[in-house]
Amino acid sequence: MQYRPKLMVLSIDGVPIELLRQLVGQGDMPNLQRLIQQSTLRQMRSVQPTVSCVAWASYMTGKNPGKHGIYGFIDRKPGSYDLEFPNANHLQSANIWEILSAAGKRVFGMNVCTSYPPRAVNGILIGGFLSPSLDKATYPGEVAEYLQSIDYRLDSDAALARRDKKAMLYDLDHTLDARMEAMFHFLEQESWDFFHTHIMGSDRINHFLWGKVQEHDSYFMPAFFRYYRRIDEGIGKLLEYLGDDVPLLIFSDHGFCNIKKEVMLSRYLVELGWTKCAEKVQHPLSIEPGQSKAYCMIPGRIYVNLKGREPGGIVELADYQRTREQLRDDLLALRDPDGSAAVVKKVMMREELYWGEGKQPTALPPEDVGQAAGAFGKGPDLVAIPHDGYDLKLGLAGTDVFVKTELEGMHTYDNAFMVARDVPLSENLDITMVAKAILQRLEVDVPADLD
Amino acid sequence: MDRLDELENQSIYIIREAYYHYRNLALLWSVGKDSTTLVWLCRKAFLGKIPIPALHIDTGYKFPEMYKFRDEYGKKWGLKVVVARNEEAIAAGMGPTKKLECCNALKTEGLKKAIAQHHFSALLLGIRRDEHGIRAKERYFSPRNQEFKWNYQDQPPELWDQYKSQAEEGTHIRVHPLLHWTEKDIWYYIRRENIPITDLYFAKNGKRYRSIGCVPCCSPVNSDADTIDKIIEELESTNTSERAGRAQDKEDTYTMQKLRALGYM
Repeated sequence: MQYRPKLMVLSIDGVPIELLRQLVGQGDMPNLQRLIQQSTLRQMRSVQPTVSCVAWASYMTGKNPGKHGIYGFIDRKPGSYDLEFPNANHLQSANIWEILSAAGKRVFGMNVCTSYPPRAVNGILIGGFLSPSLDKATYPGEVAEYLQSIDYRLDSDAALARRDKKAMLYDLDHTLDARMEAMFHFLEQESWDFFHTHIMGSDRINHFLWGKVQEHDSYFMPAFFRYYRRIDEGIGKLLEYLGDDVPLLIFSDHGFCNIKKEVMLSRYLVELGWTKCAEKVQHPLSIEPGQSKAYCMIPGRIYVNLKGREPGGIVELADYQRTREQLRDDLLALRDPDGSAAVVKKVMMREELYWGEGKQPTALPPEDVGQAAGAFGKGPDLVAIPHDGYDLKLGLAGTDVFVKTELEGMHTYDNAFMVARDVPLSENLDITMVAKAILQRLEVDVPADLD
Repeated sequence: MDRLDELENQSIYIIREAYYHYRNLALLWSVGKDSTTLVWLCRKAFLGKIPIPALHIDTGYKFPEMYKFRDEYGKKWGLKVVVARNEEAIAAGMGPTKKLECCNALKTEGLKKAIAQHHFSALLLGIRRDEHGIRAKERYFSPRNQEFKWNYQDQPPELWDQYKSQAEEGTHIRVHPLLHWTEKDIWYYIRRENIPITDLYFAKNGKRYRSIGCVPCCSPVNSDADTIDKIIEELESTNTSERAGRAQDKEDTYTMQKLRALGYM
């Protein structure tokens, strides 16, 4: 007998709906095309800031960052100017595997960002690309032995991508093949209630080859489409395995667009006098707190160096709102020196984007925002949302505000995709809503604090 | 003889060897479960009365429960507790906001000064091979040079329980009687011997410490294990490393490299 899950998720990181339509249209993804014909394809919004760890944390908790506490790949360690690297230990909420486990469901998760270190679940959880090693990445531990035996890789080698893009392609293929092999191995083990496999390589190939595709590079453009064909082959086998009636979601967490320029926002704040670098810059928070009114984290997260909250804070609480407004004006004033296009589309205050309680943002007195505790209090005081093409970075130690590196693609907020078969979803969809739909489809009570 | 007896015998043998070889031997007592187990084994090795000082490196940032435990059991067990603090660095404002420098100044430099001040030629430490990758390369008798450096590529073999116990002038030897124990062994032994340990290891409100040190640099793990039996049961199923709450730095280095390659740093 062939086991089939009650609900299957296959997520493909960072694929914009426009690219998906192109791939389907030009015949690179015939299996996905077949699925779309039998189901629905929608556009989906991501989260702010638009990075995978925040998007996946929002997916797996069904909550906004103001409740789960993950705002980026790096964060400031509360009460210091040290860095911390948020992972599942920092996620201030149960994830979907835990919620389902508590309801007695058998669950499986593989390679989803922010799932490392894996929490104890009723099933198997294998951490995502920031897991330091396979032996630490799995719950239960013995799963690692099987993964080791098939040469499973937690992630492709991003450093390789900067050195040798051809080698990167080989590495991406190997990583994808092993993940697909593992997926079918675990699918065949038992009748899972919930099974989620994530593909990260699409984000990588988009980051490093997006520009080459636009340029119609004779080697890399076909290689790029070939990678998506490989994903589609996996989808084909999966559709065959599942048959026509297993509820299925295939989706991405954010979109992509071409990078015009990388924008070193920390450098900009230094030039305007908001941030003063430490004598020796060792990391993005190497600042001189006594002379810095604000500082920046990637991407576009601005923090006021607030007295009483930060260990060396110098901005009085009474000046918090005025400082934020000045920062907002300065960020909106940033222009590309080539052609003077605006870099920042919008600057949002923390309370306009996030909420710690309830279901939507609420107007709060600025003093309450500055002094808030918990996951909401951890959030940036302002978030700069760039125009497409301007990738907001850090660059505290650099000399230039505008640079161009090997990276060719950047994330976009409003054009992720969702293909849903037999899982009812809202038309007006963002990634935070997906968990609720999964719980409802599996007839599990939705926790009251989900957004 | 069961496994715990074998572990105990081996450790006591090493403790006595060290005492035989080194005139100025001290026992490093951080007040954690391992070094407290080491104290327990020393009490057995020396038939209840430990003849060497128990050196406690105090950073000033340890958990209050640890100070309380140190004072209470130091007295109860008749230990000669030597508390060493790098007062100079503390007075100069060294603290956990400068994390890596802080560890170096308050722990490593603090220890260096204490060794110099008390002329210790050897130290007993409660480290174990399974704690961390690099510790797997340790020997039972492990020399440190004047700069406190350990050259793991140049160590004498320790075959058939033959230990190189001689050290050169200006160096000191670190002796690791618990090297062959695992985290689980320690817990089984604590249970069997009923060894007192601080409450920090037991779960309160769904969290407990698996490894303890300075307050700002230790994170509790999610756990409901509020008894030794439950801790052992938890360890049977967990795959998270013991020092997950402490070894953050090394993991952070990995993460940083990865994020840098992806343009996030």
